Amino acid sequence: MTRTRKPGISRRSTLALMGAGAVTFATPWVARAQAKTIKVGMPTILSGRVAQLGTSSRNGVMLEVEKVNAAGGLAGRQIEMVIRDSKGQPQEAARVARELVNTDGCELLIDAEASSGAFAVHEVARDLGVLCIHTNSETSSLTADPKQHIPNGFRTARQGVHDSIVGGSYAAAIAKAKGLKRWATCSPDYAYGRDTTGEYVTYLKRFAPDVEIISESWPKLFQPDYTEVVTKILQAKPQALYSCLWGGDLTSYIDQANIYALFAQMEVFAVNMADYTALTVVKNLPKGIHSGNRYIKTYPATAENAAWGDAYKAKYNEYPTNWSWENATAIMLLAEASKKANSADGKKLAEALRGLKIKSPFGADGTVTMRAEDQTLIGYAIGWGTTIPQEPYVPEVKAGDWKTILELEAEWKKSKGYT
Amino acid sequence: MTELQAEQASKVLDNSITKSKPRPNRDALIALAVFVVLAVLPMLTSSKFLLDFVIRCAAYGLFATSLNLLVGYTGLTSFGHGMFFGLGAYGFGLMMQKTGVAVPVAFVATLAITFVVALVIGAICVRLKEIYFAFVTLAFQMLIHSTILSWVSLTGGDQGLRGGIPRPPFLGIDLSNHLHLYIVSCALLVIGLFLMHQIAQSPFGYTLRMIRDNATRASFIGIDVWRAKLTIFVLAALFASTGGIIMALFVSGAYPEFAYWTISGEGIFINMLGGVTTFLGPMVGTALFLILNDTVTRVTEYHGIVLGIVILFFAIGLRKGLMDFVIEWYVQRRERSGGRAS
Repeated sequence: MTRTRKPGISRRSTLALMGAGAVTFATPWVARAQAKTIKVGMPTILSGRVAQLGTSSRNGVMLEVEKVNAAGGLAGRQIEMVIRDSKGQPQEAARVARELVNTDGCELLIDAEASSGAFAVHEVARDLGVLCIHTNSETSSLTADPKQHIPNGFRTARQGVHDSIVGGSYAAAIAKAKGLKRWATCSPDYAYGRDTTGEYVTYLKRFAPDVEIISESWPKLFQPDYTEVVTKILQAKPQALYSCLWGGDLTSYIDQANIYALFAQMEVFAVNMADYTALTVVKNLPKGIHSGNRYIKTYPATAENAAWGDAYKAKYNEYPTNWSWENATAIMLLAEASKKANSADGKKLAEALRGLKIKSPFGADGTVTMRAEDQTLIGYAIGWGTTIPQEPYVPEVKAGDWKTILELEAEWKKSKGYT
Repeated sequence: MTELQAEQASKVLDNSITKSKPRPNRDALIALAVFVVLAVLPMLTSSKFLLDFVIRCAAYGLFATSLNLLVGYTGLTSFGHGMFFGLGAYGFGLMMQKTGVAVPVAFVATLAITFVVALVIGAICVRLKEIYFAFVTLAFQMLIHSTILSWVSLTGGDQGLRGGIPRPPFLGIDLSNHLHLYIVSCALLVIGLFLMHQIAQSPFGYTLRMIRDNATRASFIGIDVWRAKLTIFVLAALFASTGGIIMALFVSGAYPEFAYWTISGEGIFINMLGGVTTFLGPMVGTALFLILNDTVTRVTEYHGIVLGIVILFFAIGLRKGLMDFVIEWYVQRRERSGGRAS
C-alpha cells in the first residue's frame, strides 16, 4: 500500500496553527509577569515618508533613557521602552497605544505621533487615564483648547503659535528696516501649513502693518515638482517670501528654486530651514535664508547643548532633529518629576510635572518649564537667524523674547475663545 | 485568483449550499449563539486586547464582508468601498459632536446619509464594467477624501475630528464604557452578518450571482441588471458605513485615513486572504489580517515587506483564500466518507 499525502490541511499543521494562535494571545500575560522595570510605551511613525520622525524621536528618547537608567531609573525602577510603528495611521496609533497599555503593561505613554495620530492617542489617554506626553504634535489646539484638556495629557513639543509670534516679530523688524512690503507665501496644503502661515501673517502684519500678501502658493504635501510654484512666485515679484515647507519638501523646493536664482531676488523666510534634516541635505544651501531654529547644536550657544548634539551624533552618526530634542525633553522631565514625587506612579508624576521647571540644554535660559495651566512646554530656545552654506549653518540666532511670546499667546487664546 | 478557479470553487460551494435551502430560522439561531459566545467572552478572560481585537474585527469584518457582496457575489470589484467606511465614521462623529442627538438617532441618520450618497455614486458607477467600475469608484473615493481634507471648518481637515466623540448613555447602554462598546459592536457585527447572509441566500442574492456569471443572460430573462447592481451597491455601502461607525467609536474620532484608498486596499486584501467564494471568507480574512498586522508590527517595523510577501503568497502561490481551502477540504472529506459508505 502506498501512502500518499492527503490533500488539505493535515493534523500536524492544524496543531501548529492552533499553537501559533495560542502563542499570539498568550504573549501578553507572559510579558506582564516581569516586574520592577517600568514600561513606557511609545507609538510613533517608523515607516513611510516621515519615518525619520520616528527614528530620530526614538534616538532622542533612548539617549536619555540610558542616562536615567544608569542613574537608577525612575524612582528606582529601570525604564524599558516599548516602541511601535503606527505607520502614520491614526486608527493604528490608537490601537497601538491601547495595546501598549492594556497588553504590554506600559504605565506611561510617550506619544511621538504627528498631527492626527496625536489626537487619536490623546483620546486613548483620556479613556484609559494613563499619563501621556505628546512629543511631536505642534498643533496649538492640542493643549490650548480647554475641550482637549485632560489632567494626564502633557506636551513637550514646541507650539505653532509660539513659532508664529517669534517669526512674525522677527520678520517685521527686517521688513521695516529693509522696506519689504510685498510678500508671497508658499506652504504645504494641509492643516499645519495653512494654520502656521495664517498665524505668521497675522503677527507679521501686526508688527509691520503696511505689509501686503500679493501671492499665495499651496503645493501639495510631498509634491515632487515645484517648477509651477517657483515661476508663479517669480512672476509676482515679491520682495519677500515666507514658507513653512519642511523636510524633503523644503530641500527639493530649494534645489529647484536655486535653478531660477530665486534666492537672489527676494528675502526668504523659511521657518523649518534650520534643522539638520534640511540643512545637510540641500545641495547648494543659499546664503542668507532666514529661518527659525528647529534643532541646532549652536543655539542655544551653550556647552550643554553642543555636548548633547555631539553625543547624539557620536551615537547615531547623524545630527539630532527637532523631534529628537522634543522627545529627549519628555524623558528629562519624567526623570525630574519622579525625583520630586519619589514615585513612578502616573498620577503622582502628573502632579509633579505640573509647573515643573528643569535644567535643559534646550532652554532659552538653560531651563524649560512644563506650564501648569495647559500642561505644555514653555521657555524652550526659540529664535531666528540667517543661513550660511557650511557648518555651523546658522551662525547667529536672534532669540525670541518669551515675555512677548506669553503675552501674545494669552491674547491669541482669548481671541480663539479658549480662555 | 483566476476566473476559472473562482468558477470551480463557486461550483463546489454552490453544490454544497444549494442542497440546503435558505433557512432564516436556523441562521438566526446560529447568529444568536455566536452573539452569546462573544458576549460571555469578557467574563472568561480579562484580556482587554481580546476585546479591542473583536471590536476591530467587527468594524473591518462588516466592511470586508460587505465588499464581498460586491466583489464575490456580483462581480463588481470596487476600489472605492472605503469611502463609505469613512462616511460612516465622519457622519456619526459629526452628528454626535455637532448636534448632540441620541446615539441611535445619529446611527440611523448616518445610515440615511450613506444611503443617499451611495445611491447617487452607485447610479453613476454601476453602469460601468470591470476596470472602469473599479477606477470610477476609486475616483469617487478620492473625491470624498479630498473633500474631507479641504473642508477644514467642518471636518478638521487632516487633523480629523478632534476632542473625542461624546456618547450620552441611551437605554442603559453607555458606549464610553468599553465593555458596553464591545457588546454593541458584537451585536452590530452579528446582526450585520446575519442580514448580509440573508441577502446573499435570497433569490436576489442568486440574481446577483447570475449577473456576475453572465449579465447578458440575466438581462435577457428580464432582470433589470442596473437596478440589481445599484441595490447591492447601496446595501453594501450601508454595512460598510456601520463598520465605520464602530471604528469611530473605537478610536473616539474620525480621520481622513478612514476614507483613503488604503482602507479599500485593505478590504481587497482581506478578501484575498479569506477568499471571496464563501460568505464567511472575508470574516476569516479579517481575523487573519488583524492578527498578521498586530503580530508583525509588534516584531518589526519592516511590516510592509512581510505583509507584501503574504499578499504575493496568496495572490500568486495559493490563488485562493483560506476559507476556500477549508471548504474544499471539507467537501472532499465528505465525498470520501460518502464514497466509503456506499
